[in-house]
Amino acid sequence: MTRNDPIKHFFIWPALLIVLIISIFPLVYSLTTSFMSMRLVPPTPARFVGFGNYVELLSNPRFWHVAGTTTLIAFLSVGLQYVIGLSVALALNARVPGEGLFRFVFLLPMLVAPVAVALIARQVLNPTMGPLNEFMTFLGFPNLPFLTQTSWALGSIIVVEVWQWTPFVILMLLAGLQTLPEDVYEAAALENASAWQQFRDITFPMLLPVSVAVVFIRLIESYKIIDTVFVMTGGGPGISTETLTLFAYQEGFKKFNLGYTSALSFLFLIVITVIGMVYLAILRPYLEKHK
Amino acid sequence: MSARALTGSRRWLALAGCLVWFAFTLFPLYWAAVTSFKSPIGVVGGATYIPFVDFEPTMTAWYELFSGQRGGFYDTFTASMIVGLSASVAATAIGSMAAYALVRFTFRFRLLSALIFVVVAFGGFLLGRNVMGLGQGIALIYAFIAALALAVISSRFRLPGPELGNKDIVFWFVSQRMFPPIVAAFALYLMYTEVGKLGFKLVDSYIGLTFAYIAFSLPIVIWLMRDFFEALPVEVEEAAMVDNVPTWRIFFGIVLPMSKPGLIATFMITLAFVWNEFLFALFLTNSKWQTLPILVAGQNSQRGDEWWSISAAALVAIIPMMVMAGVLSRLMRSGLLLGAIK
Repeated sequence: MTRNDPIKHFFIWPALLIVLIISIFPLVYSLTTSFMSMRLVPPTPARFVGFGNYVELLSNPRFWHVAGTTTLIAFLSVGLQYVIGLSVALALNARVPGEGLFRFVFLLPMLVAPVAVALIARQVLNPTMGPLNEFMTFLGFPNLPFLTQTSWALGSIIVVEVWQWTPFVILMLLAGLQTLPEDVYEAAALENASAWQQFRDITFPMLLPVSVAVVFIRLIESYKIIDTVFVMTGGGPGISTETLTLFAYQEGFKKFNLGYTSALSFLFLIVITVIGMVYLAILRPYLEKHK
Repeated sequence: MSARALTGSRRWLALAGCLVWFAFTLFPLYWAAVTSFKSPIGVVGGATYIPFVDFEPTMTAWYELFSGQRGGFYDTFTASMIVGLSASVAATAIGSMAAYALVRFTFRFRLLSALIFVVVAFGGFLLGRNVMGLGQGIALIYAFIAALALAVISSRFRLPGPELGNKDIVFWFVSQRMFPPIVAAFALYLMYTEVGKLGFKLVDSYIGLTFAYIAFSLPIVIWLMRDFFEALPVEVEEAAMVDNVPTWRIFFGIVLPMSKPGLIATFMITLAFVWNEFLFALFLTNSKWQTLPILVAGQNSQRGDEWWSISAAALVAIIPMMVMAGVLSRLMRSGLLLGAIK
């Protein structure tokens, strides 16, 4: 249901202009740079190399490893965030006792700077001074290498991501739940629909547009993860927890290899776009069905 | 009593789950709060949990922070406040308008117009920089204006090729968030430096930082608000249109009040994003408009693992957001009541 009215231009152009102005330069600059060999240290003049940077990247096993790690972190953490977030949002929406306090406290992690979160996580996970390892020792476990062994480090990063971003899912799903019409539920209650049936046939389908949007945003944002990993493990041990953005940072601002970094960004952009399109394409039929 | 309220054992199960999540959520924050009152020896000596019981609290970390021994605390705090609030208010307002337009109005243009924009912008920039020898900044400005003008003019004509609509515009907006922030931040720094050479200071300025934050918040605002607007009943607006209420009054007088929970949620997310953003602040500021995350990160890099001062700095960055969250969750509850009456 859309209509036509000249005033629409007045509504959309401010946003359009601002985003265009800010986004076009990074795009133009990095796309042109990605076809050149360009280093700032030592300063070498830019030289056109065509797809050289791309070829070099795609044949670099480190790139594939880093892409795999990022995908693992993004999918696992977003999956957990959605499941936990939906459960909590449903509980809050059903007026669980103490709902007012929960509603406030559950938001907090989202409001903490990722840098600060990672710094706090490092304290909590510290092998000698942290409370978690003391607790584990108390339970009879050995001192666990939370940040220094690959699988533990990945797990820790995922848990920190879940801690920080589940609130976002809760917030959005709760706002979505509040806009669902009450009368549908009253009708369902009259027909003696069980709580599970109400969830499966009313709540979940009607919440699907918001769910899709939330997961989509979280997925894209998770792929860009850098602050948390940088502070917590620095990509280590070795490169086992390095993510795409961290890789770009290492190449671009440690080695000042700008052409390579730009090419990496474009591959990154392509990967995320493909994932986003596939995701939306898979879910579109369900969205249309429940319109 | 809502028809959706839980009863019996389910209620207690939900409560138990919430309590577990509550403990998980709060423990790290509690840990940071406790650590900020510890002395250096108290931190290194092993985990301690309760002040006065298993360690003696001191105010050293807080004193050092407020007295400015750890970087210009008050300036940083004010800068964060001003930039955070103004950027998120502006982004929510501008983004909501665009989202509303994308939900309720029809936009049609040819793919060719968009391609013209991209080609002219790229070509003009390269031409200006490499052939005509203009500076990067000037070349970019000319290319941008030319590309925009040509794209708008070309959309007046009946061009061949596939037609794009609202969905594509939304996807374009959202896709802006897909670009790796490292490169965007660096390129933006270059652009600001170029514009600075023309006489407009953008690096380490209020306008530069706020503008960047508005632009990078807009995609999220549009994407979120679009869903909230789509959920609104169109009948109310149609009734208003029958009464010849102008569109801007429908939007500000009817649509915005009806989507208050969504607006508040979106505002809060934007504010949290701007307040905590690290990379752009790192590249685009250097002293005057530095924000809190930079200060917090600086604690670590300057002095190593001094957990007490890191915790204090982190808490300062967290507390204003906690107050904001308290106020806004109140507002959201009142929005909820409004929704129930409707």
